[in-house]
Amino acid sequence: MRLNRLNLIRYGRFDGAEIVLPRPAEGNPDVTVIYGPNESGKSTAFHGFLELLFGMKAGAHPYAFKFERNDLLVGAELGIPGRGATILRRNGKRTQSLLDDQDRPVEDAILSSALHGLGLDDYVERFSLNDKGLREGGERIAGAKGDLGQLLHAGVSGLTNMADTLREMTARAEQFHKKGGRSTSLKTGKDRLAEIGRAMRVDRLTPERERALRKDRDTAQKAYNDADAALAQARKRQAAGKAAQVWYDRTEDMRETDEALSRFPDGPDLKPGTLEQIAALVTTISEKTSRIEEADGRIARHVEVIAANEADPVAANLAVELAKLDQVKIDGASLTSRADTARSDLEKRTGERDDVVRQMEKAQATLRVPDVPAASLALPTEDLESLANAAQACQTTEAELKAARDVLKTAREQLGDAPPEPQDLSELQVAFGAWQKVADLSLSEQALEAENARLAKAVSGLPTSWPKLIENGLPARETLDDILREWSTLTSDIASASADFETREAEYKAARAKREADEGEPSSIDAAATEETRRLRDAAWQSHRSALSDETANRFEDAMYADDGARTNFLMGTEARQKLANSRALENTTRAVRDTTKAKLEKLIEKRDTLSKRIASNTEALGLSPDAGPASFTERYSTLLTASEIAAEVANAEKAVAALSKRQKEALKDLSVAARLVEIKGEESDLPARVHKALALQDSVRQAWEKWRRGEQGISEYEKAVSQAETKKNAAITRLETLTAALPLPDRTASGIKTALSHLRTLQQLHTEYKSLAGRVEALERAVQTLGQSTTRLAETLQESLDPEDNPLLIIDRARTRVSKAAEADRLRGREEERLAEESQSRKRAIDARDEAQSQLDKLFEGQGGTDLLPMERASLLSKRDGLRAKHSDADKHRNETRDSVDGELFDEELTRLPDATREAELQQELDDAQEARDRARDESFEKDRLYREAYNAADNSDFITEQATILEELRNGARRAAVAQLGVLAARGALKRLAAERRSTMLQDVEEAFVAMTSQDWEKVEVWSQTEGEKLVGVKTDGNAVPVESMSTGTMGQLYFALRLAGYRSFARDPGPLPMILDDILETFDDTRAAAALHLCAEIGRSGQAIIFTHHVHLVELARKSIPGVSIVDMPN
Amino acid sequence: MRLLASADIHLGSPIRSAAMRNPELGDRLKQATRNAFIRTVDLAISESVDALVLAGDIFDKDQPDLKTCAFLLAQLTRAADANIPTMLIRGNHDALLDHGAHGDLGPMIHLLHKGSPSVEIRDVWFHGLSFDAAHVSKSFLPDYPAPVQGRKNIGLMHTSLDGSPGHDPYAPCSEKDLMAHGYDLWCLGHIHAPFEHTSDSVLAVMPGIPQPRHFGERTGGTVALVELGDDAPTIERYEVGKLAFAECPLDLNECSDVPEVLRELRTGLQGLQHPEHDTAVRLRVTTGHHTTEELTSLADEVLENIDRVFLDKVKVAPPELKDNSKADDLVRLMREELNEPGFQLASKQALEELRTALPREITDELTEKALDALLEEAINEVTLSLHAGAAE
Repeated sequence: MRLNRLNLIRYGRFDGAEIVLPRPAEGNPDVTVIYGPNESGKSTAFHGFLELLFGMKAGAHPYAFKFERNDLLVGAELGIPGRGATILRRNGKRTQSLLDDQDRPVEDAILSSALHGLGLDDYVERFSLNDKGLREGGERIAGAKGDLGQLLHAGVSGLTNMADTLREMTARAEQFHKKGGRSTSLKTGKDRLAEIGRAMRVDRLTPERERALRKDRDTAQKAYNDADAALAQARKRQAAGKAAQVWYDRTEDMRETDEALSRFPDGPDLKPGTLEQIAALVTTISEKTSRIEEADGRIARHVEVIAANEADPVAANLAVELAKLDQVKIDGASLTSRADTARSDLEKRTGERDDVVRQMEKAQATLRVPDVPAASLALPTEDLESLANAAQACQTTEAELKAARDVLKTAREQLGDAPPEPQDLSELQVAFGAWQKVADLSLSEQALEAENARLAKAVSGLPTSWPKLIENGLPARETLDDILREWSTLTSDIASASADFETREAEYKAARAKREADEGEPSSIDAAATEETRRLRDAAWQSHRSALSDETANRFEDAMYADDGARTNFLMGTEARQKLANSRALENTTRAVRDTTKAKLEKLIEKRDTLSKRIASNTEALGLSPDAGPASFTERYSTLLTASEIAAEVANAEKAVAALSKRQKEALKDLSVAARLVEIKGEESDLPARVHKALALQDSVRQAWEKWRRGEQGISEYEKAVSQAETKKNAAITRLETLTAALPLPDRTASGIKTALSHLRTLQQLHTEYKSLAGRVEALERAVQTLGQSTTRLAETLQESLDPEDNPLLIIDRARTRVSKAAEADRLRGREEERLAEESQSRKRAIDARDEAQSQLDKLFEGQGGTDLLPMERASLLSKRDGLRAKHSDADKHRNETRDSVDGELFDEELTRLPDATREAELQQELDDAQEARDRARDESFEKDRLYREAYNAADNSDFITEQATILEELRNGARRAAVAQLGVLAARGALKRLAAERRSTMLQDVEEAFVAMTSQDWEKVEVWSQTEGEKLVGVKTDGNAVPVESMSTGTMGQLYFALRLAGYRSFARDPGPLPMILDDILETFDDTRAAAALHLCAEIGRSGQAIIFTHHVHLVELARKSIPGVSIVDMPN
Repeated sequence: MRLLASADIHLGSPIRSAAMRNPELGDRLKQATRNAFIRTVDLAISESVDALVLAGDIFDKDQPDLKTCAFLLAQLTRAADANIPTMLIRGNHDALLDHGAHGDLGPMIHLLHKGSPSVEIRDVWFHGLSFDAAHVSKSFLPDYPAPVQGRKNIGLMHTSLDGSPGHDPYAPCSEKDLMAHGYDLWCLGHIHAPFEHTSDSVLAVMPGIPQPRHFGERTGGTVALVELGDDAPTIERYEVGKLAFAECPLDLNECSDVPEVLRELRTGLQGLQHPEHDTAVRLRVTTGHHTTEELTSLADEVLENIDRVFLDKVKVAPPELKDNSKADDLVRLMREELNEPGFQLASKQALEELRTALPREITDELTEKALDALLEEAINEVTLSLHAGAAE
């Protein structure tokens, strides 16, 4: 696809702007440099192009500031393979936004097919590059740390964050689970689940324990309730004691009050508030008396003022006349205020009006229409503008028509005769392209050889049956590790158990020998001898007891000695028996220990035998010799696994070679068929060369033909332009004629109208001015007449004579003064009359109030003694008397209320004890004791309740269960995420490996060429080094010094990244095909030499596709002009 | 007779949702099951039903904690105070439970079991048998008493019936045999999705779980009010679960920036707001631009300002690729890689290693059957991460 022209019709700040990207001359690369200073709209143009291809952004649009979003419109002429030059437009609608050159909706499939299915993001990533992308891309490929696949992926796709992505995903998986990891999410979660499990088991409250705790709680609660009741009783007793004391004290108070009352006058109790009423009435009488005296004085003063201000009889007439005069206005102001200037102004305005009339007559004479009414020539401004535009349009369209005719004539002269039409070799082209892709088998064969070599090395120590072993399936690595671990443990355990058994056997044998020795001891058989000795002793004693003599005594003594010996023997026998029992017990113990040890040993041996069978089975599965122990499992397993992986890769490589070979044959066959269709024949061996030559020849024929066709199409366009210009010109003339039809002008041609326009504009202004002045003169004349009439009437009312030369304002002023004075006198007289009436009313009210107060005072003292006293002294004495009476009543009420508030029986008991000085303290002590007992019971009850509640709440496992479920759910999610991450990394690494295998040869060659060229031969080569972690991209300088990508400078890394992107472009251009590559100011950090080299590479892009370079640097434009043959330089439109 | 039927209450069972991460919300959610039961008893009282029937799995475990037992007793006592008797049986989850362990159940609460399978309430006979082992593979039906002639008969049974997808067989029983036993009404339990069957004048009701605990139980949330008169029984369902699980499918593939994603999320999530209940949302997003983590974070941000809606889980699926797309080499190569024996072996080993490290309860998440789906997600994840990183 090629961008021929971009039309920013209504987009951003552009309105009808166009950027044409000319096709290069034959043999030149297709490179266009678009120059524009900062803020000239380069980004806008770039986005406009993208939105044309992929549709406008949904929602608020960043470039919809001059035109509404729905009005945005971009267009372009695109060269689309198979369709030729195609004009397309894109508007801001959500659907059917792609239009053809007639603004008819067309399917987006036209573009998506031309874009090879790329979406917006993919296109931007692969086919655009800016300075930021270059810098960051360079830094990121350094982060690939030797992964060739990642580097090539960055080149092909433009996505450089592969390493970060894989690291991040690996970290995510390991954060969840890692063998031996102590702080992984899984480990933490499992630990917590175990804790929860333990806690739930520990905290379980059994029904029995719950019942015991509940019983303790209820017992303590009952004790607490009892103590609380006792406390309540003590409180009641104390309250009764206090009430009895109150009763006793108040009774004493009442007796003293009765004595005091006998000294006060009789009479009923004053009603509540009487004292205050008496005081208020005394005050009222005094105040009202003073008020009456003051009112008399003020009434006399008001009468005097009224007499001094009488009414004026003519003031009313004067006021009416002045009011009429004030209503007359001139220029929005009162006539009287403008009376002085009105007459002189009238004269001035009349002169001005006449002057304007003369100017209008002069203008009409110039227009050669002296007798026409000026109003018919004074056109409105918009009509004048329409007239001017119409006249201008006539002249412009005339000039455009002439220019179009000239262009058409020149084009016809330049076209010349038609060249021969090219033959259709598209099928041949396709078949040849397919052949080229599969022409070279060597790379795949080399890859196969390399894999076979790797395989041979990997299987060198393996038995020949190794493929069968892999096919049968290898044991799990964990199983082998378990077996080895178990074997080691068992071997060690058996050795230990065997040694133990030997020791225990020896101990048992020793114990058995000792027991047998102890059984053989004669001292152990002594019971009969002892019995005999005793019998002899008893017999001697019985026969000689009655006749003891010395001899007898001696005999008895001998017998006794004999008995002692027997006793000794017996004692010795006891020790021997104990010894024998001990040796038997020891024998039993050592035998049991030996048997246990033996059983353990036998069990271990049995386990070893079982394990040996498993070992044998796995030994066979791993192809090891039967005598090989499990220690050799791990190495053999790894070797077989490696062999399995390499074998899979060999199989893939074989398949790739076979597939490529098959495709090659098919492609050659297809090429042969296509060639025969266009009469190209020959042997298969030289057919591709013949086809290549024929296609090259056909290219030049087609280009010549297409050039002539474009020229012919251009003439058609020019003819259309001439026709359009004629139409426009006729329309302009018709319009002018319509506008001038009613105008009484002698010359109504375009030039005549343009000449008359200035006079018509002058006439329009003068006529407007004339209308304004004529109105003004008329208003002034009316005002002067009205003023004269009014002053005559005022003089008559004032009974004064009026001279016409007098200033009318003097009469008006005198009339105003007279009216003003009369109004002031009326105001003063009215005010004094109102005050006099008010004062008289006030005086009457004061007399009535004083009399009423006196009457009420007499009534309040009715029936009371103390008549000889002044009202306030009398009231005070009566009030004190009533106070004593109230105190007596209150005391009685208080003692009764206190008694009624407590238990009656307790009250009576306590009252009989009074007076008693210690009773209060006794009651307090009883209460304190009860309180203390209650508090103890309460604390005990609370504690038991707390214990119950604690156990009850601890038994609530809902928090644990919830946490358990939450953790499991999180682990479930985490496990899935970790598995996804782990598998994603696995698949991505495999994919990158494949990418490296697929693209390495062609891409690396492209990368090297680009990098060496761009770095001005400072670097000689780009190599791939194999290392433990994978393959690594390394730049080799001209001095032989090799530098890995991560050790390069930032600028060089950026250039290497650019080289990768160029190689990626070439790869894409080869299959599926080229698309415009857009480079936005990427060279500004390059020095001139490297920038020139980079521009050469852009030219390379231009040879297989189209390169578009935006820049705001003039020197880069010049550099491009020097570096790229035939480069097109285009300025950003205004 | 009017009775309120419920089953599978699973008191003490937690809600299974990622939303539990939110402590404030977690407190509300863990009460949801209890609150649903309180509303059930409220409904029984306000409707003045003649009986409350609970057909097994009242607790989630054989040995529930004291508080949960006390809660059940308090609620059933409340019903009893309103003169509503309760008939209940033990299901497979509470098979070994001693309901009287913490005190007498009282005269209004009837636990039906082998020793005491029937009770008469207001001239209607209730029959039921309880599980006395966690798993019973034979049918209980032959042991159910014969119907009392001349009276209405109601059966309580905890059964998986003919076997339901996703459920192991528990006291299996043919539906046909059940309906032919001679009872007028069967109140069933065990299957959490509600349904009812009618055959002639016999009705069998599976009330379903009254408060769903996770997305898979989202069809539950109700209890059944059954009226048993002279004609065939009638049924009316009432919602008592105030936490619903819902799915919100959103296609965000056309959203070009984060504000637009936020707008779409806000619109979608606001549409799930309900004035009377909370909603846990399973967000199923189609996008080629944002990872699960990013969308979870954005949805959390949006939900800060939407009451009563919270996030259960985010599932991201990529948009379908266009047939003619040759765009993503990496995706193509990754897909090719999936067919490699070496890769298949390695991926199975990796999965197995992770699976064996998991707690027993969740190993089903990473079985070999799930491998294909996980690989699909994995490819999508790599692609999304790459493009998201490039767009930064």
